[in-house]
Amino acid sequence: MSKIVILGAGIAGHTAASHLRRKLPKEHEVLVVSPNHNYQWIPSNIWVGIGRMEARKITFPLAPLYKRKGINYKQAKVVSFHPEGDADHPPYVVVEYVYGEQRGEKEKVTYDYLINATGPKLAFDLTEGLEPGSNDVYSVCTYSHAQHAADGLEKLIQKARNSEKPLKVLIGTGHPKATCQGAAFEYILNVEKELRRRKVRDYIQLKWISNEPALGDFGMDGMLLSYGGEPMTSNDMVEMVFRDRGIEWILGAGVNKVEKGEVHYENLAGEQKTEPFDFAMLIPAFSGHGFKAYDKTGEGITDKLFKGFMIVDADYTPKPYEEWKVQDWPETYQNPSYPNIFAPGIAFAPPHSISKPRKSPNGTEIFPSPPRTGMPSGITAKLVADNIIDSIKKGKTSLEHKGSLGNMGAACIASAGYGLTSGSGISITTYPIVPDYQKYKTTGGRNIKKTFGDIGLAGHWVKLALHYAFIYKAKMKPFWWLIPE
Amino acid sequence: MKKKITKAQKAYMQNPIIQFFKFIYLNIRILLIVAGGHGGTRK
Ligand SMILES: Cc1cc2nc3c(=O)[nH]c(=O)nc-3n(C[C@H](O)[C@H](O)[C@H](O)COP(=O)(O)OP(=O)(O)OC[C@H]3O[C@@H](n4cnc5c(N)ncnc54)[C@H](O)[C@@H]3O)c2cc1C
Repeated sequence: MSKIVILGAGIAGHTAASHLRRKLPKEHEVLVVSPNHNYQWIPSNIWVGIGRMEARKITFPLAPLYKRKGINYKQAKVVSFHPEGDADHPPYVVVEYVYGEQRGEKEKVTYDYLINATGPKLAFDLTEGLEPGSNDVYSVCTYSHAQHAADGLEKLIQKARNSEKPLKVLIGTGHPKATCQGAAFEYILNVEKELRRRKVRDYIQLKWISNEPALGDFGMDGMLLSYGGEPMTSNDMVEMVFRDRGIEWILGAGVNKVEKGEVHYENLAGEQKTEPFDFAMLIPAFSGHGFKAYDKTGEGITDKLFKGFMIVDADYTPKPYEEWKVQDWPETYQNPSYPNIFAPGIAFAPPHSISKPRKSPNGTEIFPSPPRTGMPSGITAKLVADNIIDSIKKGKTSLEHKGSLGNMGAACIASAGYGLTSGSGISITTYPIVPDYQKYKTTGGRNIKKTFGDIGLAGHWVKLALHYAFIYKAKMKPFWWLIPE
Repeated sequence: MKKKITKAQKAYMQNPIIQFFKFIYLNIRILLIVAGGHGGTRK
């Protein structure tokens, strides 16, 4: 009998746990350790953040589902890794309970296989004054943050109705190396539509502020896509949408401080600038959790496991942008020092950014970190689960299932306004996620047949359909596994 | 000159009948691209 411990119950952890439980006989234990008691479908936070969807529609409690399905669950957070075990224990992690009578207690949890799916730490602390709700700045990264943002937006709308002077909304990234521009992009378009619906749009100026060097970079160096059968860059597409909706923009902005009603940033020209606002939503930096690791004698071995995020089968050799290859990206998400440890989803350390690194003349790095969205998080978690299942069944390590971000497609269905008949969505697919400049030499590293963009009401319906399909799947309802990741 | 979304294009983007067929088309196309397989890049 094998024991598989999964750290984290987000998209990656929950996907891995569900597939392992479905495919492994009951004599093998599947244990999830995660501090959150609710599963949340993060992509729909955007609608919670404008007050058009209740948080309960995007969450459900994990404990009853896991109990029904035979998945063990501890509401706890991992605090340290001991991949060699100690004199009395096989490999283990130390976890600390965060809820109930056991709250604050620590426990050694042993494992045969470990899946680290702890995602990112939302590093608000890396930007002074960015803490959500302080200084009129909000976040939509969790459902509670999003609820809070909806309250802030409502206050802004009321204020706009009675204000003599125009108000200003600022949405984008809150750190020079933040990622997840896609979420901020969706949010600004949804806020714009909501302000129109509430008839206050004319009194509010909307501005995009981002560390991207150009619109439509999305942390992926932008893309050449086919739009209505014609080639178009993501830069032109986003500019077309922003102009259509009267949204202004500031690019190459490394936000370093937020004060009440003011954002301070350095731009790529090295200038220190300030931008006033009445309501802001800024995505924080995503960092590793700062976990520590120890060998069997208690010596620190953190650098064998972590490089901010967890080290996997990537090529981390530092090299200039021109020498980056798609082959640098991991395929199996296995830690090279401890083959029974894996890190799918956002938890793995990327070998380098996808966007070209840029510095201001003052030496400040201002460019997006690589995004790792929901679909690749699910796909990488499933392939890790499949490799563990094969290894258990064959009695030896099996790594047949592979999935590099350089050989995988992603779809970004960006909501551009809520409403069954008046809504809109911008659907963008990208193949591959990490550009392969050798294979697709003339089309910016992407397969133009599989990289396309579309704008319209159908995109909103697709996003809604995905919302319902993925929550159905996460609840492990009948035939859930037929829905792809 | 950057592209603009024209009035006619807007009407097309919000026409529920056209968009219903677009919805089916998009679902199939996205499914084929995303669920159409993945793999390694090294030999
Ligand atoms: C607002 C927003 C909108 C988005 N929209 C989209 C979209 O439309 N499409 C898309 O594809 N992607 C989208 N994304 C990205 C997507 O949400 C992420 O790619 C995905 O959630 C990553 O999954 P993950 O499991 O790796 O990490 P997470 O979902 O962050 O899960 C991490 C898990 O680890 C747990 N954890 C944290 N610390 C510990 C610890 N110490 N011990 C144990 N467990 C721990 C957490 O509680 C959580 O359960 C969006 C992201 C945001 C923020």
